[in-house]
Amino acid sequence: MGKQITEMLKGTLEGIVLAILSLAPAYGYEITARLREQGFSDIAEGTIYALLVRIEQRGFVDVERVPSEQGPPRKVYSLNTQGRDYLDEFWRTWSFLTERLGELHREGR
Amino acid sequence: MYDENKGGFLAKVIGPKRAWRRYKARKAQLPSNYRTAIDAVEHYLMYAGGGDGAGWETVFEDLVDLFEQSAAHGTPIREIVGDNPVEFVEVFIQNYPAGGWIRRERERLTSAIDRASNAESATPADEGSP
Repeated sequence: MGKQITEMLKGTLEGIVLAILSLAPAYGYEITARLREQGFSDIAEGTIYALLVRIEQRGFVDVERVPSEQGPPRKVYSLNTQGRDYLDEFWRTWSFLTERLGELHREGR
Repeated sequence: MYDENKGGFLAKVIGPKRAWRRYKARKAQLPSNYRTAIDAVEHYLMYAGGGDGAGWETVFEDLVDLFEQSAAHGTPIREIVGDNPVEFVEVFIQNYPAGGWIRRERERLTSAIDRASNAESATPADEGSP
């Protein structure tokens, strides 16, 4: 399952991260930690970080630098209106995909 | 010292040379294994085309941000860059307008295919004729 899930996650990770941010603002490490809790143990911190840089550039999140006791200030990301719209679109696409795949799965049995 | 850093904005204000020195200084503060890792990424970026062209300051600033945060949390190197460090760097660099020659070559390839494809659709009658 390892390799396959890595490949499948590539297309959905952005939506997953936006969904996590829709619950509450978070910084990079928190997001990775949450993903690990939920069983996505193979996701690299750097992958999440690169993704956060991208969604920031695309204007889906607002970023605030918050001082931290341990080390450098943290960039805290919160989903903005544009990000919420994009997340809505992501869920619509997701529903479409799961519906079609479900049909294929049932037919193939 | 860290609060001096205000993101890519800083590089624009203080200029590329100082931004580079600042990046070097931040890198020097990292634990040695993190430094080894970031050096390797930096080296690769120089060759893969991330290290030249406008905007590279932001690339390295973001990179050292990541390694500082990870070092502060004690995230192991493998968990920062993943099983495939090449892929990590490729995904990372895609976010930036910098990217030197490789980006120019990507654009060149894309527009060459566009032209070829457009020429094809302009003269569809040619297809299949003897």
